[in-house]
Amino acid sequence: MKIILVCSAGMSTSMLVKKMKQSADDRNIMAEINAVAESQLKNELDDLDVVLIGPQVRYLEKKIREQLEPKGIAVDVIDQIAYGMIQGDKVLDQAIALKK
Amino acid sequence: MNSKFMQKFIEIAGRIGSQRHLVAVRDGFVAIMPLIIVGSLAILINNFPPFGNFNFVEWMNGIFGDGNWQTVGGSIWNGTFAILGLLVSFSIAYNLAKSYDVDGLSAGLISAAGFIMLVPWTEDGAGLTAAWLGTQGLFVGIIIALLVTELFRILINSNLTIKMPEGVPDGVTRSFKALVPAVIILIILGFFQALMNVFAEQSIFEVIFNAIQEPLQGLGNTLPAAMVVSFLNHLLWFFGLHGTNIIGSVIEPVYLPLIEQNLDLFKSGMSAFDVPNIVTKPFLDSFVFMGGSGTTIALLIAVFIVIRRERNHPYRQVAKLSAPAGLFNINEPVIFGLPIVLNPVMLIPFILIPVTLTITSYIALATGIVPRTVAILPWTTPPILSGYLVTGGSWRGIGLQVFNLVLAVIMYIPFILAGARTLKRNKGE
Repeated sequence: MKIILVCSAGMSTSMLVKKMKQSADDRNIMAEINAVAESQLKNELDDLDVVLIGPQVRYLEKKIREQLEPKGIAVDVIDQIAYGMIQGDKVLDQAIALKK
Repeated sequence: MNSKFMQKFIEIAGRIGSQRHLVAVRDGFVAIMPLIIVGSLAILINNFPPFGNFNFVEWMNGIFGDGNWQTVGGSIWNGTFAILGLLVSFSIAYNLAKSYDVDGLSAGLISAAGFIMLVPWTEDGAGLTAAWLGTQGLFVGIIIALLVTELFRILINSNLTIKMPEGVPDGVTRSFKALVPAVIILIILGFFQALMNVFAEQSIFEVIFNAIQEPLQGLGNTLPAAMVVSFLNHLLWFFGLHGTNIIGSVIEPVYLPLIEQNLDLFKSGMSAFDVPNIVTKPFLDSFVFMGGSGTTIALLIAVFIVIRRERNHPYRQVAKLSAPAGLFNINEPVIFGLPIVLNPVMLIPFILIPVTLTITSYIALATGIVPRTVAILPWTTPPILSGYLVTGGSWRGIGLQVFNLVLAVIMYIPFILAGARTLKRNKGE
């Protein structure tokens, strides 16, 4: 599955991406996970399953939902505490739950 | 916390943060930041203070011949800072067009062409007046980019374009598609320029600069303005919203010219103590937002001081997790993990401390104890190093950072104690 994390510059989220990839590896889940800035999102739509929005840009939620949900892409805001504590496995769980 | 009020606040901030034109302006500035930073570092290297007995600038001039070494940095300056207005007229138009899903490259090029069309020529007719290409022409650059792109979008989406038969390569189709809109837009700007010449007898650059840009800059360079910027940024972050991102589109155009003035005078040999502007973006980045918004590096230190024994205390764990990124002024982990967001205990210090540091820093610079800012650094430059570089290589810059850090740590400690107590009580229930 392909998961994209959206934040302001893709910087703080990249730490989380690393942890999520580790967690996916540990669980033998095939997942492509990346962090991008909002303006880059439209270049990543191919085969995209889930978009997770960083809590600091959660005001983008409505806009992104309107654009992507019709295309069958699940959208949600990352749980704030899991984001802060960089809990890759929890955020990965969130993404997997969304895909179902 | 009143949730209805909060929802409203988040909604309004969100609308500003995702408003198409403001986002285009912000992203336009973000795009040229690498050039700005290179231009600023070139000036810093050209004017680096002697290190003990070793004077780098003199040494290099010994090799290249007097004054020749400075040409390296000087020409970098000419290609970056000196044409800032032109650069943003391209990058903002590009970003705005992209957001409408129309041809960004064409919109950017037309906008840059239009910008140059309106720049007044020198008295002797030898060339363009260089001053307007740079930060003095910044506002005109922004306005042209927005207007040209809006017009471009309307024309492209109308039927006023040349259609190509099938089988013609994409690149050709695209350049022809942009042709009619380009012709119309540039003719309009040509007429506009002629009308300005006849009736106003001054260029649009002078009009906009005198009427809007200069007053705003004057306002920006005051302590109250710096306090408002600091306050708003942290209020937004308290609600978990990216403050710097949301107010960035408003801050950059006002504060970039102020640092440019400092840099320009520093370049021509003025000391960093004597440059005119106190409040700049690097001023806030280096002396106030140490470790990120909220001076959170001080918060981390305060946590390590207060919570020494309980190794598994949640605060200590967050602090440990956040420390490496915190050194580079990235602080989302501590903001969301502690959390600071919507945490009533942390509201007061998170806003009060940065505003206080803004005041102490302003006083230190205004009284001439610490030199003013003469460099733009990547915002990820760690504190201490940033204090040294931003003041043109002065130990006093580091001194002010250390003073501010100690002050912030002392101010954070009681709130960390209170927060830890609240945490314990909630757990006990």
